Amino acid sequence: MDSTAPMPPAADSASDQFYCGYRPVAPSLRMTLAVIVIVLIAAFVATAAVMSRQHGDPGTGVWHFGTPREFVGRIVCEPYPMLLIVPKERGDVEALLLVEMGKFGGGQRALPRDGQWARVTGYLLERDGRRMIELLDGDAAFAAVDRSAVAGADRIEAPPEVHEVADQEMFGEIVDTKCYLGAMKPGDGKAHKECATLCIRGGIPPTFITRDNFGKRTYYLITDPAGRAVDERILPFVADPVKILGTVERRGSLLLFRIHVTTIQRM
Amino acid sequence: MSSGYVAVQWNRHKRVYDIIVALALSLFIATFFVIGRLMYRGEHAVSDEILLMRALGACAFCSLTVILCIGPLARLSTRFLPLLYNRRHLGVATFLTALLHAVVAIGFYHGFGVLNPLRSLLETNTAFDSLASFPFQLFGLAALLILFVMASTSHDFWLRNLGARGWKRLHMLVYPAYLLVVLHVALGALQTQSSSVLLTVVLAAVSLVGLLHVVAGMRELRTDARTRDEPPLRGEGWVDVCGVDDVMEGRGRVVCIGTRERIAIFRHNQSISATTNVCRHQGGPLGEGRILDGCITCPWHGWTYRPQDGTAPPPFTEKIATYRVRVVGKRVQVIPTPLPPGTAVEPARIDGSPHG
Repeated sequence: MDSTAPMPPAADSASDQFYCGYRPVAPSLRMTLAVIVIVLIAAFVATAAVMSRQHGDPGTGVWHFGTPREFVGRIVCEPYPMLLIVPKERGDVEALLLVEMGKFGGGQRALPRDGQWARVTGYLLERDGRRMIELLDGDAAFAAVDRSAVAGADRIEAPPEVHEVADQEMFGEIVDTKCYLGAMKPGDGKAHKECATLCIRGGIPPTFITRDNFGKRTYYLITDPAGRAVDERILPFVADPVKILGTVERRGSLLLFRIHVTTIQRM
Repeated sequence: MSSGYVAVQWNRHKRVYDIIVALALSLFIATFFVIGRLMYRGEHAVSDEILLMRALGACAFCSLTVILCIGPLARLSTRFLPLLYNRRHLGVATFLTALLHAVVAIGFYHGFGVLNPLRSLLETNTAFDSLASFPFQLFGLAALLILFVMASTSHDFWLRNLGARGWKRLHMLVYPAYLLVVLHVALGALQTQSSSVLLTVVLAAVSLVGLLHVVAGMRELRTDARTRDEPPLRGEGWVDVCGVDDVMEGRGRVVCIGTRERIAIFRHNQSISATTNVCRHQGGPLGEGRILDGCITCPWHGWTYRPQDGTAPPPFTEKIATYRVRVVGKRVQVIPTPLPPGTAVEPARIDGSPHG
């Protein structure tokens, strides 16, 4: 060794913060690492808290899943399967849409019972006073009853009052009624588009939701111009902001929007 | 570095790393979920499955952001090298989090219907001509496939079979994957929840990744430019690269000659050796490593090579290129033509007896 050449400082193993994954960690590095890890985890959790506070209010829909209820009334299948009842607290006829579990409408089991008086059992979904029954699986969902056992049978049988409004153009969103009433929250918007499309494709009735300047929602059950269920041409517009030209019709407690699918415009 | 393959070569460091990763991801998901539950309660409550899906997606996005920050942070400060050391574990955990996000989203949004969930995912929304309605899920699916390929090849078995360069190229796909994730978030969550705070968080994350890469890259360029200024000497191709006192005992120094590959100069036992700066494993900067137990030790993952011949100690077999080196007076000189990997070159003594 050249004795005149000063020896440069060697890496001091105690202070050297070099890390090697199969060797002991220097005490000074251990402290540095502890600080880095604590800061990173704190930042990570704080980010989670900030991001989670950005959820929008999904609305007031409720799905009483796990608590089956019975309703007695008359099954009607046009434009969509529903049970007409007269609730004690209302006094007028209410239409409870019928759907199956999953993303299926109630048509398959309701159609053979069209016009029958029945006790229907299932899970209630409700939002803004609109109600729907998700039918129980199996035979427990339907039981035939005598007309005399149904409260308000006369009013149910009477032809509903129909008020037709002139054609009008409205802005809003086409949703699947089941998710929007509480099966999925939120049950609208872009992220829910495929779910809503699949629901409507499976027979769940589509509803057109409009909002006035104060945010108040109005629900229109969508039908074709003849008042029957709409076909699959509506699917590409589900969950998008759209403008639709159609005819509004109030039929009893139901508000229908009779539309030509060809008039739907994506905004 | 390994002489055989096992799923994970566990040691205490890896266990601690994985426990910290699991703790951080779990805390993120739990915090997100609990705050989401507390914000809207009763009839206003967000569905649990939606909350879980959002928590997993947000966690995967933030975790991927951290992964991309670790690389440049480690270039800027050696304090972050321990995070880099087992980064692939964080990568696999991120992929699993993203996979769970996809499973929950596909299960609830696309399941229980008339179509197979995957068919529904690919077929239901075809509004490719509309930015507002664009099927953003496809961006997420493409990113998930890339992360799957990366996670499934995050093992030295694949590193050896694909070659360091091929493996590195494959894993550079993390950048397109991140871009796809950002598009997925921008056209999905940001359009669905019109929150300026959420937009700010995403922009901050993307900016942080970009800024750190630019700063680290500029620092590399400055370092290269500084070491490149050394004028070549005449005759026999020797190039003066640095002074012997520029290299600390037991450490290395990176030099860059012209546009050639960087060279790592090491000082060990009062001798100077020169090897390529590129580790055979993942291209780590050997010159920023240390001499431990007489071997050059890569700062990224601890791969080791003997300075005198660039060969890994037995039972390992990896080899790196070496360079002819000599000490003239107080200066270190090398011939900047790499010798075949594993070529023995006697280290140059600092006491004034140059070898070449």
